[in-house]
Amino acid sequence: MSYKGHILEVNNLRLSLSNGKGAPVRILNDLTFNVRSGEILGLIGDSGSGKTMTALAVSGLLSDFAHVDSGEIIFEGEDLVKKSPKERRLLLGEKIGVIFQDPSSALDPLQTVESNLSEIIKLRSNNKEEGRERILKMLKTVGFEDPEETAKRYPHRLSGGQRQRVLIAGAALMNPSLLIADEPTSSLDTVTSMSIMQLLHEMCQEMGISILFISHNLNAVRNFCDRVMVMKEGTIIDSDTSWDIMGQPKSAFTAELLLKSRLDPHSLGITQGKAKEDAPVVLSAENICAGYQYSYFRRSKTPLVISNVSFEVKEGESVGLIGSSGCGKTTLVKTILGLLKPESGNIHKSGKIAAVFQDPVSSLNPAHTVRWHLDEALMAAGIKMSADEKKNHFLKVLEDVGLSAKHLTRFPHQMSGGQRQKAAIAMCLVQDPSVIIADEPFSALDASSQASIIKLLSDINTKRGTTMLIVSHNLRVIKAMCSKVIVMDKGKIAEAGDTDEILDNPKSDATAALLKARMYEA
Amino acid sequence: MTSYNASRRYLYTGGIMLAIVVGFFLLGLFWTPYGINETDSASKLLAPCAEHIFGTDNLGRDVFSRCLVAARYTLLVSFAGVLFALAIGTVAGLIAGYNGGIVDKIVMIFSNGIMCFPGILLALVAVAVFGPSLYNVIWALGLVFAPTFARVYRSSTMELLGRDYILQAKVMGVHPIRIMLVHILPNLMSQVLPAVIIGLANMTLFESGMSYLGLGVQPPAASYGKMLSDAQSYMVAAPWLIFFPTLMLVFYILGLYFISEWVRTSVKGGSR
Repeated sequence: MSYKGHILEVNNLRLSLSNGKGAPVRILNDLTFNVRSGEILGLIGDSGSGKTMTALAVSGLLSDFAHVDSGEIIFEGEDLVKKSPKERRLLLGEKIGVIFQDPSSALDPLQTVESNLSEIIKLRSNNKEEGRERILKMLKTVGFEDPEETAKRYPHRLSGGQRQRVLIAGAALMNPSLLIADEPTSSLDTVTSMSIMQLLHEMCQEMGISILFISHNLNAVRNFCDRVMVMKEGTIIDSDTSWDIMGQPKSAFTAELLLKSRLDPHSLGITQGKAKEDAPVVLSAENICAGYQYSYFRRSKTPLVISNVSFEVKEGESVGLIGSSGCGKTTLVKTILGLLKPESGNIHKSGKIAAVFQDPVSSLNPAHTVRWHLDEALMAAGIKMSADEKKNHFLKVLEDVGLSAKHLTRFPHQMSGGQRQKAAIAMCLVQDPSVIIADEPFSALDASSQASIIKLLSDINTKRGTTMLIVSHNLRVIKAMCSKVIVMDKGKIAEAGDTDEILDNPKSDATAALLKARMYEA
Repeated sequence: MTSYNASRRYLYTGGIMLAIVVGFFLLGLFWTPYGINETDSASKLLAPCAEHIFGTDNLGRDVFSRCLVAARYTLLVSFAGVLFALAIGTVAGLIAGYNGGIVDKIVMIFSNGIMCFPGILLALVAVAVFGPSLYNVIWALGLVFAPTFARVYRSSTMELLGRDYILQAKVMGVHPIRIMLVHILPNLMSQVLPAVIIGLANMTLFESGMSYLGLGVQPPAASYGKMLSDAQSYMVAAPWLIFFPTLMLVFYILGLYFISEWVRTSVKGGSR
């Protein structure tokens, strides 16, 4: 059944969160928007602007702490706010499908793909054969070549992209009229997210499903959405066709968001970190091979993740390390950092090596304050200072990374993702390292934090002269920041050398594939 | 909202129950209405009355006074036992979880070895060999309980090892022992606290069981288990001899369970 005109209308929706004590906090403020039949509507905005809350409110999956104060959510002509929880639950899956961010935790690990999906059908029909047929058909639709075989697999035998496909199949199984996708690609790599986006686009066109697409990946929004809404502090401040919004933003906020997300090297003032002619080599690897040994007792040869990797990094240089997921980038980084023992080969380092990791949630120890972290870093580096010197040193470092004295006493949960990542970088700087290795340091952050972290790392490289090795999916950033680049493919170095040369004239298939996926990246 | 109120109810009920037992313990330290071993042949098996509010036993001893003093042993054995178990479990669990490999295998073989025997049986054997005494009960029970804590510490440590801040600490060159004690240990409190509280309750049950069998706290000292065992023959004639010590045990154990339930729900709901 298709509904003419607007499939979903949200009018003056107000929603607050309360934790049982203190005054409730207003999250959505007079939110008004509509989704037309058969369109893909993009919803963008900074983190904390209420994007996910909107998705939860429409799908009826709000927690006990959230409360709709006023307004209406009209879906196919009926007000959802007035419906009982049971009625809404029945609607979910049948008329409204939801896809969440993290595909790794959304499937029951103890059940096969088929039994995971059949849960959705069981609620509504008893015909097993028909249900099975429907699942196989849907698995085929989402791009599995052998649906019979896939249906028998357990979730751990699927890759992240495949799991997300299974979840999309589940959401679309009952042929819903509205699909809500909350950051469906943010935990996937560029090549995979491109294919997921294409899949959603096809489903919209072929099955006539309307999609509410929430993302901070503006490129994906530009390429796939018919219309875009910009959200700020719980309300829609800008909305138009995606072409117009991206081309001529109406509000200053949208313009700024776009500028930040574009990560434009010129507006950020980033320059490539180059080494001097006679600069000494600070980090070098000779023929390293490394892998993971699974069992202590079974000393069977497990396949190596990286083999015969050799490279040199000179002082003051900024080197990018790129490659598709699973090519061994993180393994190489772990080996250099000494977290993994290489099977063979040598690594030469001169001076202290510090590391910045990807996940801002776990980059700091939740039990301790920022001051403790800096203290610990100083102590580990064996640097002794008087209390006064220490305090000045910390304040200087915090200022360098864009934090202030008040952050010294903060615990990680009291800071945003970007601030935590800055504190993690401050920990590195306290040790005054000669090389900083950053493994996807900004990919888990929102657009504006990404820009500030990129700028910060670039400044550390150019102003302090600290050598950088940056792992990233984002070729534009790598091109702006790094003078040299190493491209990895299947555990080997596919090509290495001058960034501009390699990215402009790729010689290996791996580089070409990365460049092809590039148009969809954030 | 409902879960929030329910967890509060657990806290209040459990808190009141525990407060009664702790009140008895504190009072018993300074004052008892009668000497605990003071026999009075004129007032044997008296029902609860104004002079003996919990009644008297077959030797004419005041049950209220004995309940006050017995709280001391119950608290001592449960706390000392859990502390002992926690000390062993923490060290073994952290080392096994952090190092993995062969060290982990050895620790786990020991801990599984202890766990595959019924706990009370092992404790009984230990006390039978080394003689029944308060201290033997404490270390025997501690040893039996240690694997439970070791397992909690081991699995949580393994989970934390993959976190970026632990990798960061390793990269910075922090000593492994410091990583275990300062970086990992404080983050395990939320998992260990409920295990400790349940451990206290279980330890009390075991101790009462052993005292009931005559292998725990030795007479003439009073303990709830021993009082129950003595009262067995008078169960019908003088039910208060069973009732009051049982009530104290129920308050203590149920109170601990309620508190642990509160910790569990409030930690779960309060995270993030």
